[in-house]
Amino acid sequence: MKLNFLRGISWRPVVSYFFLMAIFFALLQLYAAKKLSVLGALFIILPLSVLLAWLLYQRVIGPLNEIIAAARDMARGNLDRELHIYTQDEIGELARSINDMARQLRNTIDMITEERNRARAILDSMADGVIALDREGRVLLINPVVEEIFDLRQETCLGKKILGVIRNYDVERLLRKALETQKPTSEEVKIFGAGPDPRIFRLHATPLKGSGRETGGVVVVLRDITERKKLEQMRTEFVANVSHELRTPLTSIKGFLETLLDGAMNDPKTSRQFLEIMSQETERLTRLVDELLDLSKIEERRVVHRWQPVNLVDIINRVASLFRPQAKEKALTLSLEVPRDLPSVYGDPDMLAQVLINLLDNAIKYTPPWGSVTIRAMVLEDQLRVEVEDTGLGIPAESLPRVFERFYRVDKARSRELGGFGIGLAIVKHIIRAHGGKIEVESTPGKGSLFYFTLPLAEPASR
Amino acid sequence: MSPRSSFDKALAELQQDILRMASLVEQAIYDAVQSLVKLDVAGAAQVIMGDEMIDELYLEIEDKCVKLIATQQPIARDLRVAITGIKILLSLERMADHAVDIARATMCLSGQPLTVKCLEYIPQMGRLAQQMVKDGLDAYVNGDVQKAKEMCALDDEVDYIFAKVFRELINGMMENPKTVMQSAYLLYVSRYLERIADHATNIGEAVIYLVTGERRELN
Repeated sequence: MKLNFLRGISWRPVVSYFFLMAIFFALLQLYAAKKLSVLGALFIILPLSVLLAWLLYQRVIGPLNEIIAAARDMARGNLDRELHIYTQDEIGELARSINDMARQLRNTIDMITEERNRARAILDSMADGVIALDREGRVLLINPVVEEIFDLRQETCLGKKILGVIRNYDVERLLRKALETQKPTSEEVKIFGAGPDPRIFRLHATPLKGSGRETGGVVVVLRDITERKKLEQMRTEFVANVSHELRTPLTSIKGFLETLLDGAMNDPKTSRQFLEIMSQETERLTRLVDELLDLSKIEERRVVHRWQPVNLVDIINRVASLFRPQAKEKALTLSLEVPRDLPSVYGDPDMLAQVLINLLDNAIKYTPPWGSVTIRAMVLEDQLRVEVEDTGLGIPAESLPRVFERFYRVDKARSRELGGFGIGLAIVKHIIRAHGGKIEVESTPGKGSLFYFTLPLAEPASR
Repeated sequence: MSPRSSFDKALAELQQDILRMASLVEQAIYDAVQSLVKLDVAGAAQVIMGDEMIDELYLEIEDKCVKLIATQQPIARDLRVAITGIKILLSLERMADHAVDIARATMCLSGQPLTVKCLEYIPQMGRLAQQMVKDGLDAYVNGDVQKAKEMCALDDEVDYIFAKVFRELINGMMENPKTVMQSAYLLYVSRYLERIADHATNIGEAVIYLVTGERRELN
């Protein structure tokens, strides 16, 4: 136990020490016995020391220099460098230890890099925006979603205060609150992004717990809820609209019923008139409920489609002949520009007829007398395009994106007068969408509108 | 803490305060224009009430600025930072007031559908003015002279639309005297937006002065 420290001393220095001592004593003895002059001793010592120096260089200084160079290299970050010293002495031991250390470091760094890449990949692939701030409120990182929303580059934002990156009072207030109270906070905030209109975000700010100087800070997750808000609003409007549409005929029916019960019943002429109005209103109610049911069926894709190759020429002709009397009544020219050899599309003939009926019905309704309505069909690449153009009232630019919404009516009063509910175009949109097509509208107020839809051809390869 | 670093910190804090106020002003301009387009009285009322907060913030930041100059007696660039701070604040405050003016006009216009045709120009002007405020503040944050100049160039576009709106509204009034009241209010609104854009160019000039020390007339 007491000799433990001896283990640390290797035999090499001890042996060389005794070897040198022996030579020294031998020379001393020879000199004392006058067998050797100073000059002679020098002759022996000089080559011996040259030999020793050479050995020292070979075994110690050279490898040490190599180790120093390698260590400097590693400090600069090049951990792939390996030392090739395989001797069994201390130098070899040192080289092996340094190689081990480098390998260990490399592994650790690889592990950390991999972990960081994984975290980065998760952040990058998130659908929500993420911003991390340090305890001073400076930006540590932002993910690509945030870059996209606010049209930023991560490099230009790092180290800046949040107000220099996202200039929004509420965001900054929320973050300050999270940093000060060290409690997670959440809020809905309207923020201006890259686009002209603000978007609505749900912000979750979570403080990072940490005791050291460098730790702490806060992570913010931004979830874009603009679409959801819009949907919520549409749903509210929808319910309000349906209730309104249902109540109007009901109120009228109720009013006439009460008048009848109050005595008008006894006057056969009046009661007949009242009953006729009530019948009309009931008719209107039934139609509304039918249309609503149709729409919800199509929206939920509950309709059993009778999919088959459909020749639209027949359908267009049939629908057009349906509307000829109405068009004649208003002195409208109803013209068809449909080639005879139109390739067929794949779909449900009744539903496609419904689309044309709704479009044509609108066109005739909203075109003043002496105008014209034109139906055109043509093939564009692998799509069939059908157009319904009128010389009607047209649709103002601000209403164009909304005409396919349920219950949206450009002019409520006029539309109701003409007996519309604002559902027709919503049905059209859903049918065309279910057929894998697209419907668009172009319009100039006062000049007329052009509705056109495209459907994929049944056999694009045969053409 | 040395007096120097506490001064630097105060200057950084001043910039943050200005950005804080700017965000509220940007929002107010947008909300004012939107509530006008939708004739949303509730939205307009919110803009008017929100101005109180902006005014309070303005006074608070201005006080800080004055104290900074009085106690630290900055010179050269530091003095420019403090002075431009006050200039930008003033411009922002005036913009917020114009947003309130627009909201007031909305209140007066409400209750009847807008029949005047050139309503689409107002949001267009609003967007441009808002963009100018945003770019101006971005230029301020980054000390970006180039961006400040580009922003000021947008003012010509605003002026052009304003001239167009003016012509069309006057024509409309002559054709149809019933629309005179609406047209007059819209004329005011477009004037306010034009003024907001002018204040934005002031911010741009202030940024250029801050960075280069040169005074430029960019309006």
